[in-house]
Amino acid sequence: MFNWFTPKRETWLFRVNPALKFIVFFAFLIITLVNQSVPFAISQAVLYGIVFYVFSGYSLKKLSILSIPLVISFLSTGLTMLLFGKGEAVLWQWGLFKISEESIQHALLLGSKSLSFGFVGFTFILTIQPVLFFYAMMQQFRLPSKYAYSFIAAFRLIPAVTEELQIRRNALKVRNIQFSKGIKGLYERLQSYTVPLFAQSIRRAQRIAVAMEAKQYQMGAARTYYYPTRYNGMDRVFLLVMIGSLCSAFLLSVYL
Amino acid sequence: MKKLKFTDLLVTIMIGVVFGVLMKFWDDLYTVVKPIMPVARQLLYGMWFMVGPFAFLLLRKPGTAFIASLAGASLSAFAGHGIEVLMYGFAQGLAAELLFAAFRYRRYSILIAGLAGIASCLASFGLDLIYGYAALETWALIVKYGLRTISAFIFTGIFAVFIVRALEATGVTSLIRPVDKKEYTLLDQ
Repeated sequence: MFNWFTPKRETWLFRVNPALKFIVFFAFLIITLVNQSVPFAISQAVLYGIVFYVFSGYSLKKLSILSIPLVISFLSTGLTMLLFGKGEAVLWQWGLFKISEESIQHALLLGSKSLSFGFVGFTFILTIQPVLFFYAMMQQFRLPSKYAYSFIAAFRLIPAVTEELQIRRNALKVRNIQFSKGIKGLYERLQSYTVPLFAQSIRRAQRIAVAMEAKQYQMGAARTYYYPTRYNGMDRVFLLVMIGSLCSAFLLSVYL
Repeated sequence: MKKLKFTDLLVTIMIGVVFGVLMKFWDDLYTVVKPIMPVARQLLYGMWFMVGPFAFLLLRKPGTAFIASLAGASLSAFAGHGIEVLMYGFAQGLAAELLFAAFRYRRYSILIAGLAGIASCLASFGLDLIYGYAALETWALIVKYGLRTISAFIFTGIFAVFIVRALEATGVTSLIRPVDKKEYTLLDQ
């Protein structure tokens, strides 16, 4: 599973400080979120598409597999908006379905936004190491170490959680548990999975916290880091390239 | 105000992460239901609001709803749901946290937990408005968000409170909850 996420080549994006990369991407996606202009939304989607397909350093085969959910979300969000979106200038109507000029615009806006989010999200995940991301957040952006280490510890426990979920699923199957129908069955299902899972995870998390404190982990104390992270020249290049291309995407959308 | 100790923080984030894993599996169910039954799909939506209120009901300390919601969202974001999930987690967690704060963090009933879920639902509606999901015909808008509000109440109010009660029976909550005044007075006797 994790071997799958090794790139074919390490592009320049891999050398950018992970925390800086996150902050820049996040800020850019807020622009995507609040933007209401259709041409700008489309030009942003194209820009982030280029970043994803050219600079993530993964083979075309893997990139096309990753594109499947993006296409699905583009179609499903776009289609809902196309058929049920509000609008006056009706082009086609059949029962509850109605396509109008406004709903086409809204569908394009929404579809492009979801593509932008997908491209940027995948580019970020594909080009960072989660642990180094948290170390960089502590060192470059002063995230308190208690949050960073809690996240790292909890993320390390994910395989244990998924394994327990699997065991629980098998155990219920072996005992041939039948759930009721409707909303009651939904609750029974939820309870039979969550209660053992949470009881175990809470005990485990509490033990880890006690162990860390026993080994003199102190919240808020000045500390050194096992993985030092810093800014380098690539960060300046990254900032310039991203801001430059967003500006040109904006200008293109205005003048085309 | 009871401040969060390191144990509380780690447990809170762990709850968020476990919810993130559960939501990943829930998402499979949701995706299957999505195209065939839009109504059922909205009724399952409350699961996404559950994490924050659930963490607060379990730990009963300020800040837990917001942090757990953010942790769950960041796991979802890492699991490939995209960074927009992080924005939703942020807004939903904040809304639930503010609602609990409005009751001075002293109420743990079904009603208050359900209201926290509805607050999260409203916050997600606000983000949907900005994003552009909400530009629907009025009837579709009312059906979609009406069902989602009902679902939010069922999941964060009724389901969360009952699951927390079941967890109380296992004894884990005594590890993590603040010690009650009553327990101190028992020591004095």
